[in-house]
Amino acid sequence: MSRLFEMTRGWLDERFNFTPLLEKNVTKKDVPRTLSWAGCFGGLALLTFLVQVFTGMLLLMYYKATPDGAWDSVTFIKSNVSMGWLVQRIHAVGANLMIALVLMHMARIAYYKIYRKPRELHWVSGVVLAALTMGLAFTGYLLPWTQLSYWGAKVGTEIPGGVPLIGEAIVVWIRRGETISGETLGFFFSLHIWVIPAIISAFMAMHFAMIRATGISRPL
Amino acid sequence: MSECNESCPRRTFCKVAIGGLGVTSAAAVGFPVVSFLGRPVRLSEDKPVQVSLGDLAPGQAEYAELRGQQIIVLEGENGPLVVSAKCPHLGCNVRWEAADSLFRCPCHGAVFDASGHVVSGPVNKDLTSIPFEVKDGTLTVT
Repeated sequence: MSRLFEMTRGWLDERFNFTPLLEKNVTKKDVPRTLSWAGCFGGLALLTFLVQVFTGMLLLMYYKATPDGAWDSVTFIKSNVSMGWLVQRIHAVGANLMIALVLMHMARIAYYKIYRKPRELHWVSGVVLAALTMGLAFTGYLLPWTQLSYWGAKVGTEIPGGVPLIGEAIVVWIRRGETISGETLGFFFSLHIWVIPAIISAFMAMHFAMIRATGISRPL
Repeated sequence: MSECNESCPRRTFCKVAIGGLGVTSAAAVGFPVVSFLGRPVRLSEDKPVQVSLGDLAPGQAEYAELRGQQIIVLEGENGPLVVSAKCPHLGCNVRWEAADSLFRCPCHGAVFDASGHVVSGPVNKDLTSIPFEVKDGTLTVT
């Protein structure tokens, strides 16, 4: 087994010098001695995001984003698809977990003032990521098309109505009409599975590239 | 600390433990995923199909599902008839068209008459007829 790994690594080394790449980024990457478990929240948020992407792909095999089909298809996943209940539950609970981890990550950064120079843009991109995470959770909440998700979306989309002058227009724009309808469902679905994931991935790439560039913050 | 290279029980133990945990975790993730990707259970699978013949006018058909396959119950001119909707050509589901009393396959245009015999199209087999029972005006297919 270890011979097989060695051979594979040798093969890759001959082609693009894999071992130094692996050592620099993973196996021999330095992290500060003083880094505590609290330093894992950001990485764990990324892990939950990846779990959400994967379970989301599975759910997408059966989910139907239509007013007639949405609730039925989620029920079908939960009762007829083998282990569907587990995948659906992981996706729903994982959303809460991801938000909790993002907030814990932000709380630590704020408490230790890690956002200060030279890491201001890490914080700014992080705030955008937090907002996008909330967006994912909010748009995903409507998709099972239950009473709870319907009224959740109704109340949630009413909030921008408080903006002076253009508030009403924003509400109508988000709802794709005056009320929550099949068009709202389709709009939220596309935001949930494509638009927000694409934007959040771009911001994650920036966030991680900047952390690589400055290194993890060390206490004085 | 003493040097230990080849046969080091602690090192072996750690390797086996990490390997074991890895395999267990992979199985814990892999099993639900693989079983999710399997064919979903149809709860209606074993239920017999029952159609009340009084509800069907002559020349009218009803679609039903029997063991995951679509079947068509037709109230024909010579009494009721049950056929599998599966086209013997490439397996699409045929539709009953009451206007000209024909079964038509939407995929490649096979046409069958009201008793399921081939009329035209890329097919040389009739629709499979399915045995049924009629009792007190109710047609049952099991």
